[in-house]
Amino acid sequence: MQIILKALRANLVLGAVSAFTVLLFGGWSGGVMGWLLGTATGYLKTQDQFVPNPQVGARIGAVNGLALGIWTAIANLAYGLILRPLIGQSSVPLGQSLLYAIVSIVLATASATLMGAIQGLANPRHKQATWFTLAFILLIFPFVDQIAKTGWIATVIQIQIFAMLALGLNIPVGYAGLLDLGYAAFFAIGAYTTGMLSSPHLGIEWNFWIVIWIAAAVAAIAGIILGAPTLPLRGDYLAIVTLGFGEIVPIVFRNLTEIKIVEPISSLVATILNKPELAICLVGCDQPFNLTNGEAGINPIGRPSLPIIGTFSSTNYLPWYYLVLFLVLFSMFMINRLRNSRLGRAWTAIREDELAASAMGINRVNVKLLAFAMGATFSGFAGAFYGSYITAIFPSVFDFSVSVIILCMVILGGLGNMTGVLLGCIIIMAADRLYLPQLAQVLKGLLNTTILPNVANPALRDFLAISFDPIQMRLFLFGLVLVVMMIVRPEGLVPNERRKAELHSENSVANESLADVRSA
Amino acid sequence: MLELIDVSTYYGNIQALKGISLHVEAGEVVTLIGSNGAGKSTTLRTIQGLLRPRQGRILFEGRDLQTVPTEEIVRLGIAQSPEGRMIFPRMTVLENLEMGAFQRRDKPAVIKADMDQVFDRFPRLRERMTQKGGTLSGGEQQMLAIGRALMARPRLLLLDEPSMGLAPMLVSQIFSIIQEISAEGMTILLVEQNARMALTVANRGYVLQTGEIVLAGDAKDLQVNETVRKAYLGEE
Repeated sequence: MQIILKALRANLVLGAVSAFTVLLFGGWSGGVMGWLLGTATGYLKTQDQFVPNPQVGARIGAVNGLALGIWTAIANLAYGLILRPLIGQSSVPLGQSLLYAIVSIVLATASATLMGAIQGLANPRHKQATWFTLAFILLIFPFVDQIAKTGWIATVIQIQIFAMLALGLNIPVGYAGLLDLGYAAFFAIGAYTTGMLSSPHLGIEWNFWIVIWIAAAVAAIAGIILGAPTLPLRGDYLAIVTLGFGEIVPIVFRNLTEIKIVEPISSLVATILNKPELAICLVGCDQPFNLTNGEAGINPIGRPSLPIIGTFSSTNYLPWYYLVLFLVLFSMFMINRLRNSRLGRAWTAIREDELAASAMGINRVNVKLLAFAMGATFSGFAGAFYGSYITAIFPSVFDFSVSVIILCMVILGGLGNMTGVLLGCIIIMAADRLYLPQLAQVLKGLLNTTILPNVANPALRDFLAISFDPIQMRLFLFGLVLVVMMIVRPEGLVPNERRKAELHSENSVANESLADVRSA
Repeated sequence: MLELIDVSTYYGNIQALKGISLHVEAGEVVTLIGSNGAGKSTTLRTIQGLLRPRQGRILFEGRDLQTVPTEEIVRLGIAQSPEGRMIFPRMTVLENLEMGAFQRRDKPAVIKADMDQVFDRFPRLRERMTQKGGTLSGGEQQMLAIGRALMARPRLLLLDEPSMGLAPMLVSQIFSIIQEISAEGMTILLVEQNARMALTVANRGYVLQTGEIVLAGDAKDLQVNETVRKAYLGEE
C-alpha cells in the first residue's frame, strides 16, 4: 500500500497528463494514454536506479504503471459520471465507465511492466529492445487510434511535420549556435517548390518522389544564400538578418503574380529612342506570368503514389502517417550522423569559440554555410510533404509566428538535444492542435449548461459567454509557458550537457576565478 | 623557415603593424617581446591568416602565406596556442585535443598515439581527460592550449603569452615545458610580456614597440641591453 502511495506521488506529472487527457476526450483515450505513458513511466522510473534483472525492472514498472493507471481510472470515472452531465451531455453509465477505468489500469500496468522488464536485460540487449518497442508503438499507433476512436492521427501527422522542422532548426541554432528567426522561410521554399513542380497551376506535374528531393535541394541552396551575407555577423545582428529573410520570403511568394521580364539593354535603348516596340520581352509578354498565384495560393498540389497503395487519398491517413514517420526517422538518422561527423564537431567548436575554432584550422565560412544549408534541407523535406499533404499552399501559412513556434520547440525541449527537441515539439503541437480546441469545447459546454444559467447579472453573463475562449487565449498561454519555462528551467526539458553547463555556470566560473586568485 | 618581410596589418583604419620584418630558422626559439598593444598577438594572427596583411610578404618554407586560407596554413604545419588560451570551455579535455587534430587526415590510431604523447607531457591533463575545459585551472588550461596546438603536429609552434595570468610557479613550469618541446626539435615563435623568462629560453629575440621592431638580436645580448633592461626587465 505504501509503495503504491509513493508511486502515485512519483507519477504525479504523467498521471496529471493522462487524467487531463481523459477529462477532455473521455472514452478509450484513457486506454491509449495508459499504453503510451505507461511505457514512458516504465522507462523513466528504471533509469535512475540499478536494475539487475528483468524481474526487478518488471516490478518497478508494474508499481509505477499501476499508479499511472489509477490516476487515469479516477479521471475516467470523474469524466463519465460527473463531468459529462456538467457539460450538457448524457453521462456514461457506471458499468461503461468502470470498463474504461479498468482497461486504463490494465494497459498502463502491462506496458509499464514490459518496459521495466526490458530495462533489466543485459547491456546491449536492453537498448535494442527499447528501440524495438518504440518502433512497434509508432508502427501500430494508427490502428490503435482507429480502434480506440480517439481520432488523433491527423494531429500526430502535423506533429511529425513540425518535428522535422524542429530537428532541422536545431542544426543552426542548437549545434552551431546561429540564431535563426526566419526558419519558416525555408519551409515555405520547400512547399512552394513542390507546389510549382507538381500542380496544374504551372502545368508541371512531376512525381512527388522526385519533387521532394528537388525541394530539399532548393531549400538548401536558399540556406546558403541566406547564410552568405550573415557570415561576418554574430548574435543579435545575425538574428535580425534571418528575421528579415523570414519576412521577405512569404511576401515574395505573395507578390510573384504578375511577372514580366524585359531584356534590360534593349529596354534601355527603347526608352532612349522612345520606341517601346524595340524592347525584347523575355517572360510574360502577352500576359503577365503568374508564378505563385498570390494570396489564393497554389492548389491543387499532386499527391504521392505508390505501386500497391495507389495515389494517397485525403480520407485515408495511414499512408501519410507512415510516409511522414519515415521522413522523421530518416531526418533523425541523418542529423545524428552529421552531429557525430567532423562537420558536427566543427559546429560545436564554432559555437564555443569562433576564433579558437579558426585557429584550429576550421573553415568558418564553409562550416556556417553548411549549418544553414543542412538545417534548411530538412525543412525542405517538411515543406514538400506539407504541400502535398494539404494539397494547397498559401503565403500566410509561413509567417513569422511559425518561425517563432519552431524556435520555441527547440528551446523548450533543450537546445542541441534531439530527444529534447522532439519532446518540445510534441508538447507544443499537442497542446496547440489537440488539447486547446478540445478544452475550448469542454469549457464551452460547461459554461452553457452549468455556469451561465446560474449567473444572475446579464452583463456578467454576456461578458463570460464572449470572453471565455481558450482558443483566443492561445498566444497568451503560449507566452506564459515560455516565460515560466525560462525562469524555472532555462536549459530546456532535456538539456544538452554543454548548454546546461553554460546556463548554470555562474557558480563554477566564480569558483574557478577564486582558485586562480588563490594560486596566484 | 618563416620569414616576414615588411608586413603591415590594419584593424579598419588603425595600423597595428607598421612594416615589420623578422625571420625564424628551423629549430630555433625566437621570442617577440613588447608591452601591451605593441602588436605581438597581431603578428601571430597575421602569420596564421586570421588577419590579413595589407602589404608585405609572409614566407613559410619559401611559400607565400598571405593569401593562403587559415585551414591550409594549419595543414602546412603552423599551429597556435592563442592568447587567453581560448580553449573550448564546454568540451572535455579529450574533445579539445581532438579539435587540435582537426585538419589532420591521419588514421585515428596515429592521432591517439599523439594524444598519448601529449598526456605523457602533461600528466595533469590525463587525470582530467573527461572534465570540461572550462572547469580547469588557469595553468591546466594553458597546458591544454599548448597540448591542443601540438595535436596539429606542427613544424612551427606559435605561443601567445603562455604565462599570462599564471602564478610564478606555474610560469616557470610552463617555460620548462617550452624548453623541453624545443629540445625535441620544435621551432617556436614565442610572444611574451614576461621578457625575462622569454629571453632565458629563446635563442633570439625581437622587441616590438607600437607596431615596429625597434631591436633585434641574440637573446643573451638583449638580456644585457640597456633599453631592454629599463623598459622590459624593470631594472634601473
